Amino acid sequence: MSSNSSKSGHAGFKVTRRTFAAGLGATGFVAGTAPFNIVRGQGAALKVGVLLPRSGYQAGIGQDCQRGVEIAGGILKDLGYPSLQIMNADTESNVDNARAQAEKLINGGAQLLVGAFDSGQSTAIAQVAEQKGIPYVINIAAAPQITEQGYKFVFRNFHTAGMILGGAFKNQKEVFAIAGSAPKSVVFMHVNDTFGTAMQKGIGAVMPKFDMPYKVVETIAYDPAARDLSVEVAKAKATGAEALLVVSRLNDAILLTRELVKQRWSPMAIMSMGPGWYEDQYLKTLGKLSDGPMTFVPWYDPNKKVSKMLEAALAKAHPGVNVNTNHVYTFEALMVAADAYKRAGSTDPKALADAIRKTNITENVSTGPGIMFNEKGQNDKLEITGIQNRGGKLPTIAPKVAAIAKPELPMTPYNKR
Amino acid sequence: MMGRLTQELSLRGLVLLGLLFAALLAAPFLINDYLLTILIIILYFAYVGQAWNIMMGFAGQLSLGHALYVGLGAYTTAALYVHYGVSPWIGILVAVPVAMICGAIIGFLAFRFSVAGVYFAILTIAFAEFARVGFDHFSWVGGSSGFFLPVANYTQNDLWNLRGKPIMFYYLILALTVLAFVICRSLLRSRIGYFWLAIREDEEAARSLGINAFRYKMYAVVLSAGLTSLAGVFFAFYYNNLFPEQVFHISRSIELILAPIIGGVGTLFGPILGAFLLTGLSETMHSILYSLGVDIPGAKQVFYGICLLLVVMLLPDGVWPWLYRRLGLSGDKP
Repeated sequence: MSSNSSKSGHAGFKVTRRTFAAGLGATGFVAGTAPFNIVRGQGAALKVGVLLPRSGYQAGIGQDCQRGVEIAGGILKDLGYPSLQIMNADTESNVDNARAQAEKLINGGAQLLVGAFDSGQSTAIAQVAEQKGIPYVINIAAAPQITEQGYKFVFRNFHTAGMILGGAFKNQKEVFAIAGSAPKSVVFMHVNDTFGTAMQKGIGAVMPKFDMPYKVVETIAYDPAARDLSVEVAKAKATGAEALLVVSRLNDAILLTRELVKQRWSPMAIMSMGPGWYEDQYLKTLGKLSDGPMTFVPWYDPNKKVSKMLEAALAKAHPGVNVNTNHVYTFEALMVAADAYKRAGSTDPKALADAIRKTNITENVSTGPGIMFNEKGQNDKLEITGIQNRGGKLPTIAPKVAAIAKPELPMTPYNKR
Repeated sequence: MMGRLTQELSLRGLVLLGLLFAALLAAPFLINDYLLTILIIILYFAYVGQAWNIMMGFAGQLSLGHALYVGLGAYTTAALYVHYGVSPWIGILVAVPVAMICGAIIGFLAFRFSVAGVYFAILTIAFAEFARVGFDHFSWVGGSSGFFLPVANYTQNDLWNLRGKPIMFYYLILALTVLAFVICRSLLRSRIGYFWLAIREDEEAARSLGINAFRYKMYAVVLSAGLTSLAGVFFAFYYNNLFPEQVFHISRSIELILAPIIGGVGTLFGPILGAFLLTGLSETMHSILYSLGVDIPGAKQVFYGICLLLVVMLLPDGVWPWLYRRLGLSGDKP
């Protein structure tokens, strides 16, 4: 073998299957162990690993969150924050890959982690971050347990499931007070998937604490992948309820609306506590029929200065896309990172974590007094926001501090548009 | 036992096997934490692929719902640990029988009523989906909101409660993979293994020779379910959270069977090689793309698809049968 090698020399070097395989293996090994900086370093930028489910069954949401990442750099710079060097990773919508990618980012030099939309994936990342002592700022994930584990390096600027429901009922009461009318009865319709079922259970537990003016006369669960919801809507209409309380996804929200029109039933209000009814595709698909539904979700306060900057940046980067929860909380997670880096003046993970614990950002985007974390690393000051579909836009109607429009209640009947 | 293990194995095969095992033993001291995590994932898929292989590769019964047994193992031990403080080592004494009974029910229904081929595959999917929906509403284990294990201990390895660092989990999954390999090789070289192969090749012919096909197919299903449930125990205590949508979903079942299909269904090394090829090469490809500044979400799934396509077209028996001929392991059976 050695004689063959010496004979061949450089000039006569032949690529055999064996040398090709060895070369491929070496390339793979080097690539597998070397840091993978997607955006090259700019001076002393903080290296932030962003983990999002950009493929797999949560791909749409992950890609939407990524839009928040794309527009963050310019806004943070305008606000005087230091630069961030973003290192992207795709969790592929599963926990094992989320954990592996977190390890990969840290191995590649990430000094802080952000992500990952989903509670399961976020839990897996949290363990890696905690073991390595790298601060981890969760953008979106509602499972309360994540911040109940006693982590020292995990922070969440997002509502827990209980906060979402409690805030939604609080907002609804405020809307009823402003409008001067409230439904006395509702039908609760919800998708029977993980999210819908969790909300259904939560409503049973949380609603009694809020002394709501309406009672739930019927609960109807349905498949989010249903092609036809005529029976469910007919059943709901037959109860004689004044309004609809819904937990939906996009497809079924469109189907429900079409059935309401077809069956000539215009409830005085449609109150959603989740996605579907405010999404761009819903507004575009249904046009004027999309007007009216109110949604109570983690949202943003359009009266805040930074919100206007976010709206402008998104409109420029993605014309026709309305700002939503995914953009807001992903942007704010990066804002927390930049703010901590600015105050810590160091990329040392411990110093960054200490700085995050003392976060007090009042010039932010989401509704509420700002971003600050309790001893468990949870921002417990966040507020839920009420929005209403109006002519393809989503003006806020509650709470008062974030409202830019008065609620339309009862909503205009479908046959009078 | 040792004789059965080394039977028909050439010297070269023994040396390669020894080297592979030595490399895996030494790996945690030679590689970084990220690569260790990848190795854990590889061994996890190798193990669970081996467990699935008993049913499909040896006995010829196609299961597309193996996530069911992973989930049962995971939820049973996790629930016993969280609610009663029962060590997972004790928990498996409940989890494994639960999975085996479930496998036995599915097997009995299918084999007793002659549900075979694709219909058997659909039956396995149906049970996994039934479990997914059922666990969504099973509030004792968190329902659809997820079930979380406490993860306070990071600094010390507590093997009894499976709390600790990734290195502990690495050796655990390595031990499981070796155990599954030893069990599979022993069985394959035994009377029961030959009966399985006979049933796989031609069930009618096997019956005509006096083999009780029902009984031996039941053995395969029950053993496969029990071994797979151990993977669930590992999954629960390593990742520390369980969601029915994540654990029981059909995409999980498909993911579990890719390694043996790529490596070689019905072979002992196929699931191991397949896991190394799929996860190892896809991670390498991903890293090369990233180092070039190319960020393509979902590239891994595309890679899996291409691998499957190539293997089906060029090496329909899988990569291992081809490789073992190339490596000159002629004394060995694949």
